[in-house]
Amino acid sequence: MDVEDELQSPSLMVDLASADDPRAMSEMLRQQRVHNIEGMFHLLTHRQDVEAALRRPAVFTSGPEAVQLGNIRPLIPLSVDPPKHVKYRRILDPLFAPRHMTALEGEVAELVNSTIDNFAASGTCDFHEDFAVPLPCTVFLRLMGLPLEDLDLFLAMKDGIIRPSGATMEDQAPTRKKTAENIYAYFEKTLEQRRRAPTEDLLARIMVSEVDGVRLTDEEILDICFLFIIAGLDTVTDTLDCIFGHLSQNPDHRRQVAGDESVIPSAIEELLRWESPVPAVPRVLGEDVEIDGCPMKAGEHVMLLIGAANTDTTDHPGVDSVDLMRNPNPHLAFGGGVHRCLGSHLARVELRVAMREWHKRIPEYELVPGTVLEYTEGLRSLHHLPLQFPPAP
Amino acid sequence: MRIRLDADRCQGHGRCYVLAPDLFDADDYGHCVLLVDEVPAGREDDARTGVENCPEQALSLEG
Repeated sequence: MDVEDELQSPSLMVDLASADDPRAMSEMLRQQRVHNIEGMFHLLTHRQDVEAALRRPAVFTSGPEAVQLGNIRPLIPLSVDPPKHVKYRRILDPLFAPRHMTALEGEVAELVNSTIDNFAASGTCDFHEDFAVPLPCTVFLRLMGLPLEDLDLFLAMKDGIIRPSGATMEDQAPTRKKTAENIYAYFEKTLEQRRRAPTEDLLARIMVSEVDGVRLTDEEILDICFLFIIAGLDTVTDTLDCIFGHLSQNPDHRRQVAGDESVIPSAIEELLRWESPVPAVPRVLGEDVEIDGCPMKAGEHVMLLIGAANTDTTDHPGVDSVDLMRNPNPHLAFGGGVHRCLGSHLARVELRVAMREWHKRIPEYELVPGTVLEYTEGLRSLHHLPLQFPPAP
Repeated sequence: MRIRLDADRCQGHGRCYVLAPDLFDADDYGHCVLLVDEVPAGREDDARTGVENCPEQALSLEG
């Protein structure tokens, strides 16, 4: 099958996330700057074009049509473009700024270690199920001041939106709709409780935040919470799976990380770039544009291929291989432009602490022999990541 | 050597102030604030690291 034949397949985006080697697929895609998937959407594959699109939110809009996941109102701030977007980021950016997130390190380290306690002595675990799934959700519950007993409920809400059963969007719609209703209801109840008994946590700070003397409405807070669940939980799971999937198969890189803690921040940036766990971000055209002779019309959907941009060697020589000490590494794994991932600094704290604490306790580990890794669709995580290691205290 | 910041382009990725914290800092929103205008002698490599890691090309060097 040649490139264009393959691109006619509606499952293309799915393939880029779940590909064993997304770099090879990205290289193939970059043979053309723009692909038109007939009747569905356009793909931008070059770093320069992806960057330019991220920086033109009036043309490449992130409006409500770009992401439809069972939500009945726009997700805030993702589905809102400037100028209104500015108001929400002025409230949310300070709450997610690096200095607040770094202050969580101790608490995250405790959660990481108590998660590792569950399996360290056994010498084996399914890294995905036992570590990558619960950790981000547990951190989120703690951050929002929600009961840790709600972990399973949150995982079900996240999966009901991001990974509903069903082969097509149509089949998946009823699960998404039902789950969305549950999410709205859960947070409506929580807001009510908080008004009776105020707390001190992220949710409390969002409730009292003001822009120009005006607080957010309940609906706006619900729409922010909805986005937190679908943007903040699965993506960290995906990244942990991607990083540990790579390290468990590349012992040189694992030893480099385990042998020197100072490598960790740079290793995280490099593996974020290399794996691009969020392989693409969707936009909708606000006006007609033409790129490389390809006309695209207002209202049509465009996928910005983050993964392909991150391995484009045109202006960034050497990005077709892994170098854990890469410098410079101005990757786009957290997107770019006004919609740069709000939670990127929280994600980095979780990833950094997880990498540090894990390798302190379990510096040597490998895939359980015979394992064939299978990556998931849409967002790049692993179905299972069975690891074995010398039993650790 | 001088560092220039295009504040309109900065989106708060935070790469500069993590990599070279004595040349760059963050404001309350996590956006870049320059701590120096003129790069101190011997700190050119750190300045370059901060500038070149910005995914938005919001930073540049002169001279």
